[in-house]
Amino acid sequence: MLACAGLLALAEWSGGGGSGPAVRVVRITERDFHIAAPRRIAPGRVRLEVKNDGPDLHELIVVRDPGGARLPLRTDGLTVNEDALVPEEVGSLEPGVPGSVRGLVLRLRPGRYEIFCNMAGHYMSGMHAVLLVG
Amino acid sequence: MRAPAFAPYASRGRKPIAAILVTFALCSTASIGLSIWQTARTQHSAEVLRVAERQQTLASEYVQQVMLVRAGQQSDPDVTATILRLSTDALLDGGAVPAVPGNDDEADLAPTGDPVVRAQLIQERRLVDDMTATGAAYIAGRPASSVPLTAGEHLAVRAPLTRLRVLSMLTADAALNTARTIVADSHKDVMNLIGMQAVLGAAGLLVSLTLALALVAATRRQTAHFRSIVDSSTDLVIVLGDGGCRHVSRSVTAMLGVSEVAVLGDGILRYLHPDDRALVRSAQTSGRAEEIVFQLVNQHGEWRTLEAHVTDLRNDRAIRGVVLNARDVTERVRLQDELVRQAYHDGLTGLANRSLFRDRLEQALARSARAGGTVAVLILDLDGFKQVNDSLGHDAGDRLLRVVADRLTETVRTTDTVARFGGDEFAVLLDQTDEALAVSVARRALARLAEPAVVAGRELEVAASIGIALYTGEAGGDELVRNADVAMYAAKDAGRGRHEVFRSEMARDPDELLGLDNELRYALARDELTVHYQPEISLSGGEIVGVEALVRWTSPTRGPVGPDVFIPVAEASGLIAALGDLVLREACGVTAGWLRDGVVGPDFVTWVNVSPKQLTMGGVQDAVGRALRSAGLPARNLGLEVTETAIMPGAAADRARVELQQLHDAGVRIAIDDFGTGFSSLAHLRHFSVDMIKVDRSFVQGVERDAKDTAITANVVALAHALGLVAVAEGIETEGQLAHMRTVGCDVGQGYLFSRPVPAAEVTAFLAAARDDAQAA
Repeated sequence: MLACAGLLALAEWSGGGGSGPAVRVVRITERDFHIAAPRRIAPGRVRLEVKNDGPDLHELIVVRDPGGARLPLRTDGLTVNEDALVPEEVGSLEPGVPGSVRGLVLRLRPGRYEIFCNMAGHYMSGMHAVLLVG
Repeated sequence: MRAPAFAPYASRGRKPIAAILVTFALCSTASIGLSIWQTARTQHSAEVLRVAERQQTLASEYVQQVMLVRAGQQSDPDVTATILRLSTDALLDGGAVPAVPGNDDEADLAPTGDPVVRAQLIQERRLVDDMTATGAAYIAGRPASSVPLTAGEHLAVRAPLTRLRVLSMLTADAALNTARTIVADSHKDVMNLIGMQAVLGAAGLLVSLTLALALVAATRRQTAHFRSIVDSSTDLVIVLGDGGCRHVSRSVTAMLGVSEVAVLGDGILRYLHPDDRALVRSAQTSGRAEEIVFQLVNQHGEWRTLEAHVTDLRNDRAIRGVVLNARDVTERVRLQDELVRQAYHDGLTGLANRSLFRDRLEQALARSARAGGTVAVLILDLDGFKQVNDSLGHDAGDRLLRVVADRLTETVRTTDTVARFGGDEFAVLLDQTDEALAVSVARRALARLAEPAVVAGRELEVAASIGIALYTGEAGGDELVRNADVAMYAAKDAGRGRHEVFRSEMARDPDELLGLDNELRYALARDELTVHYQPEISLSGGEIVGVEALVRWTSPTRGPVGPDVFIPVAEASGLIAALGDLVLREACGVTAGWLRDGVVGPDFVTWVNVSPKQLTMGGVQDAVGRALRSAGLPARNLGLEVTETAIMPGAAADRARVELQQLHDAGVRIAIDDFGTGFSSLAHLRHFSVDMIKVDRSFVQGVERDAKDTAITANVVALAHALGLVAVAEGIETEGQLAHMRTVGCDVGQGYLFSRPVPAAEVTAFLAAARDDAQAA
């Protein structure tokens, strides 16, 4: 969780520092239990606009090229082991209430990224998507 | 349209106070109601929260119970599933929440209104359904994929237990997040409540403050109104209450020349006359409605006399004190004092006058009769004062009189009275004294007067003669003064600058008294003077139409003294007033007797001479009035003979003319005596109404010898008739004179030919005889 907060701070820092004009907006919509996102986007600075369509609360975690078909799970076998993904994680949003829209500014290099919600059971219920940059 | 009545003391503050109270009550009620409502809501929220959290536990328990059943052990997942489903329903639409066996109580919930929470609960219900369906399939050994999922899950796993665990996890997560939303809502409600309470409190406070300020302003206006009324009044208003002076109007501070603060409380005592403190304090404590008079001193040390009306307003909440409504009467009191002083004091010297002296003397005599002690009267007459007046003028004379007055005042005690009787005659009244003391006062006075006095640049030596009379318990005040006077003349006769004590022999031995005026004085006192009457005869009918009263004096020492001798002396000494009184009293008394006895007709007139001196001295009107009243004689039966000069205009005669005119208006007859001898103007006769003109005897007696007198008498008679007056010829002594006067038409005659002046008794006999003759005829 601490790492998560640190990354969030980093993400916000990078977002605040990037005042260049080339910030593209990427709309992502979350709902029970699905993430709708563009399949491919151009690299560089992007602003992920994350809308929660509910009814439950949802978070968003962005990891880069984790490798393998499936993300590593905790010992319960049901939730993603975020601690194991610290090197790959490029940004995250804390749980947002239904109806909220939140932004996450990232500098994305070309590559394969995976976005998911890791609230209890949400990943396993299908809340994950692949984002190709490049 | 009627203007609202002016009510300065009306309680205007009631409405604002009521409004403040109502505002407070409304705000408090709203605030308390909100709190109660919110508390109920919070209790409900806590219950909802407990149930929502319980769902999380129940979802986990359900998976364990399914696993137990699957492992062949005894468990009842269906009960848990039912509780889960009913709890979700109750959370969503309200109703009873079943109790978990052996764990907690039933609860009754209200339906959820928040759309977000409702959406979450609907999703939770789907998840419960999906989970229990999956659990049932797992127990029954059916494949998990055969269970339709309703909550939007895209479960990639095929293993039924894993599926069940994911669904349980989703159910628990949904329950937890629902609880979170409820907590967030509840928190929001509390914040809203706090905000609302704050707004209510602030609004209540604001309204109350506004109203309170309005109340204060209204009260101030009211007070200002009251103050301005009080302050604009010229009345001096002083409010006394507990702790002394509570308020004074601006007029008071203006009068005193000090600030209000200096007068408030006990400050007023500094300005109040010490003698008046008890009076003012008693007015303050009793509050009795009365008029009080007291004195205040202003900053210049000037005492002001205030006359105040006391009003008790201690029960009036706006005043709470005794109100003194005062007027500054200093000038009035001063004027009254001045008038009293003028009436009882000599204008020249400021000493007491004869009236005040007499008053004090009577008081002293009364005291003496009551408490013992002797009273002495000293009469002092300056020697040679006339020479001062003649040689240095009246101003110098007046100044000398003032010096004498001061010196006399210095000589006696303050309780003694020094008076000036007029001219150079002074009097001293010594109370509680004896002969030795009185003599020593006289000696001191003479010594003090003998000291040279500088008047008009000249050093004068004043000498005086003093007569002393001591009260012996027999005589009255007047006699005491007369005795002192006698003693004073004795002192003067014995040589100047002396004093004499009255001895009874002095009055009895006229030989010791020198001077006709003194003899006349005693003659008057001893009734040596008599009144004779000379008849006046109608020249046409021969009847007696009137008499002229003439005073006669036979002195024991001098024999008969003619009026031509003693009248000027009486005029010079001022005795003429007493003499005039005597004649008037006598004449009126006698005439009234004749009228009563019927010896004279209703038109009969008794004529009395009034000398010019008498007229200029004033008081003739009073004397005539007194004499007529005391005799009961009608005014028309009395006539006054005055000389021509008496009716001439002139400063000294003006008052006399007025007095005569008023007497004439009252019915008293007026005759011009000695007509033709004085300086007269016919014009004055026209303007001054008289009844009769007396042709002077000198003309009458010359008619037989002198053609001019003949002509004059004829013309005077003609003039009298032309003016509608009666003509009287005086001093007819011969038949020839009588014949002439008849010829010229003179109406009335008087003289030795008819009768000499005779005593009243003889006239009575005459008149009775004349009446009898007339009746016989």
